[in-house]
Amino acid sequence: MLTETETTLLGIMMMVIMLGMGSSMTWRDFLIAFRKPKGILVGLVSQYVIMPFLGYALAMILGLPPAMAVGLILIACMPGGTTSNIFAYFSKGVLALSIMMTTVSTLVAVVTVPLLLNFYSGLAGVTGEYVIPAGNIAQVLIVLLVPTVLGMVLRKVNANAGATIELLGSLLGVIVILFLIGSWVPRNYEMLLNTGLPVYIAAIGIGLTGMLLGYWLARALRQDSNRARTISLETGIQNGPLAALVITLTFTGTQQQEVLFIPVLYSLFIVITSSFVTMWYRRNATAEALARDAAKIRV
Amino acid sequence: MNDDASPPRPWLASYGTSIPRDLPAPRYRSLADLADRTCRQNAARTAFTCVVPNGMNGSLSYARLAEMSDAFAAFLRIDCGLQPGDRVAVQLPNGLAYPVAAFGTFKAGCVLVNTNPLYTAPEMIHQFRDSGAKVLVIVDMFADKLAEVIAQTDIGTVVLAGVSEFFPSLPRLIVRGVQKYWNRVLPPVPDLPVRTLRLRAALKAGRAHRAPVADYWQGTGRDDLALLQYTGGTTGVAKGAMLTHGNILANLDQVHAVSGGVMTRDDCVLTALPLYHIFAFTANLMTFFELGARNILIPSPRPVQNLQRAIENYPVTWITGVNTLFNGLMNEEWFAAYPPRRLRAAIAGGTALHQAVARRWQAMTGTPLAEGYGLTETAPLVSFNPLDDRARPGSIGLPVPGCDVVLMDDDGRPVAQGQPGELAVRGPQVMRGYWQRDDETARTMREGWLLTGDVAVMDEGGFLRIVDRKKDLVLVSGFNVYPNEVEDVLSLMEGVLESAVVAIPDAKTGEAVRAYIVRNPDHPAELTEAEITAHCRSHLTDYKRPRSIIFRDELPKSPIGKILRKDLKAEIAREFAGKGAPC
Repeated sequence: MLTETETTLLGIMMMVIMLGMGSSMTWRDFLIAFRKPKGILVGLVSQYVIMPFLGYALAMILGLPPAMAVGLILIACMPGGTTSNIFAYFSKGVLALSIMMTTVSTLVAVVTVPLLLNFYSGLAGVTGEYVIPAGNIAQVLIVLLVPTVLGMVLRKVNANAGATIELLGSLLGVIVILFLIGSWVPRNYEMLLNTGLPVYIAAIGIGLTGMLLGYWLARALRQDSNRARTISLETGIQNGPLAALVITLTFTGTQQQEVLFIPVLYSLFIVITSSFVTMWYRRNATAEALARDAAKIRV
Repeated sequence: MNDDASPPRPWLASYGTSIPRDLPAPRYRSLADLADRTCRQNAARTAFTCVVPNGMNGSLSYARLAEMSDAFAAFLRIDCGLQPGDRVAVQLPNGLAYPVAAFGTFKAGCVLVNTNPLYTAPEMIHQFRDSGAKVLVIVDMFADKLAEVIAQTDIGTVVLAGVSEFFPSLPRLIVRGVQKYWNRVLPPVPDLPVRTLRLRAALKAGRAHRAPVADYWQGTGRDDLALLQYTGGTTGVAKGAMLTHGNILANLDQVHAVSGGVMTRDDCVLTALPLYHIFAFTANLMTFFELGARNILIPSPRPVQNLQRAIENYPVTWITGVNTLFNGLMNEEWFAAYPPRRLRAAIAGGTALHQAVARRWQAMTGTPLAEGYGLTETAPLVSFNPLDDRARPGSIGLPVPGCDVVLMDDDGRPVAQGQPGELAVRGPQVMRGYWQRDDETARTMREGWLLTGDVAVMDEGGFLRIVDRKKDLVLVSGFNVYPNEVEDVLSLMEGVLESAVVAIPDAKTGEAVRAYIVRNPDHPAELTEAEITAHCRSHLTDYKRPRSIIFRDELPKSPIGKILRKDLKAEIAREFAGKGAPC
């Protein structure tokens, strides 16, 4: 399990990440985004309808034990991770849409995540000791909203500080994942070796399937391919560190270790899978741009 | 040409009470004098703020600018050994280094050679050799081009400056880091056979001399050369227009006169056009600097989204731009939804402003988009629309005070009122001639009159309307078709984002009209050729209608966003080469 210092550190880093997320945008960006809300709505649907159901379905199909199931469902219910913005940038996606989806899904998370988690854990038959109290999650999220709003204010007061924190936040998003992996894997490598295939399939599959379904949904709802790729990455990339934080604040000891298993494994693999998907998307985006160039002369 | 000493000035009657008929008595001896006094009077105020797309920024106060430009002047005179009149090439995008280098050059009594940072190596070689520049201040992003350039020039010192020069340290490092490792646009500076140093080091060296900088420019007067402003790349090679201190100073007075003195030191102007171009140099840098106001410098206005944080974060009251920039801004959702609240007016120049754009701007922002007209050779302003309801849509306005304008026929005789003729200008803002090109000067300037190459019409109130560039005319069966007129008609269609009209050879009519169209992506239905043809049929007589319509994703543009008809013409020349005229 994570030591108390590590848990505190994780909490502080989350605060900085959220501060960075807040300072990546202005109040006006929000107002503008909601003038044409379709992209964001599509994102919210894939984030909070598809992903949680996918988490539940995978847990059931793979017959995961309650501790693992809770971890998987929790990860599935999480809002978009801030690292998705970096991947959106590298895949030549629509950065503004990615930032906006991350922020909006984080804001509505205060309400949606406790409800969804409650619903799907109930459905999955998770009981007793493995239940994550809805209040816990709501509290964590509300606490995290403070740095988000603070970030937005900071951006307004001092654009230099805002832009610096924004970059720092995105970098820290990656560092936190490395920190989680670094502090967790060495202590649990035996468990990693003894774990069966279903758990790996769940941890890796949730992100990949999410990306696939997110893309299809966006295309079905008539988003252009570039926006669809952005929504796809955003759907698949969840806020792993946030899930870890909720777990460390709720569970202790072996229980914590078990529940934390899938979220950490997910965070580890999502960096790898997203990198590959990003390269693939980037190639598609470039090919499309070239095709547009070639088709310039239409007499 | 009629050698009349004072041709009639019918436009004076339209000046009303807001525009003075004569220019005020000269207040400054030189641009260095202006810089020195302005910085003293406004020491604590912010002169320049540079904003990069993510909102990071840096500022210079008038006091700091004075100190830095003094240091740079001392560096030029002592460390580089320059003499008054020596040329200093400045090849920088908009940023805080630009005013330091420009005013430092003036204070050293030297001549500024504005150079486009995007120039290719051969273009740089031409301009540096032609001007005989001895010192070059260049943005580090493009310093790699110097490897093949420097040995072929007289440049003895290269000073490097960054886009984030003079930003606070952390943002400066971040911008540099992003440029270097993320965007990969900061190549290593090659080993050059001449002294190469960073601007900061140059300032440090200059400061150390504690030189009496004011002595450097005491001998500089209004008739001395201030700028070599290169122009005329349309055909052949670029030539340097010789603009004196007096040219720029007179034009500043003319700008203030025609704007009715409404600009104040509390204004804040968005400078998205490059300062190395005469339009932004005079209209933004000099005009608002002289007032003690603030310039918001944008290193790169493309994509136009790069302007978002600057417009959001600063109380922008004026915007200068070209037709394409205003059009681009209005097609941005963030701008259309929240146009700048404190905006007072926008000034268009550089290329013809389409009426549809001007109307939309007025409706969207509630402020006028006034069109002015000018040339590099006239520092640049020649005529300007009043900022009140006297402004005439589609007109380039009234000639500015203190200068004469006549419209001439091909034999150099004034045309009858209301008839089109080539616009000729005489006045204190007209250049001395082209640098070391007496033949070109003789072709363009006759007895003090500068021939602009633009065909214009003057109405009875003295308002001028440009009908077109003389050389861009399309001659259809002997009828003149002015591309601007056709483009203006095309721009009325909602499905058209931009258009450019040029001549193609035609077997029957000699030349015919071709329109290049960029479709408006926000328009729901895709525009078809048939729709355009139908639209033109209802607006234009037969010979003016496009015979060929070509859709493009974008049009070739100059660094300030002027649509380059010459590039399209070159394409057409290739297309029809050897083919003969199509039937």
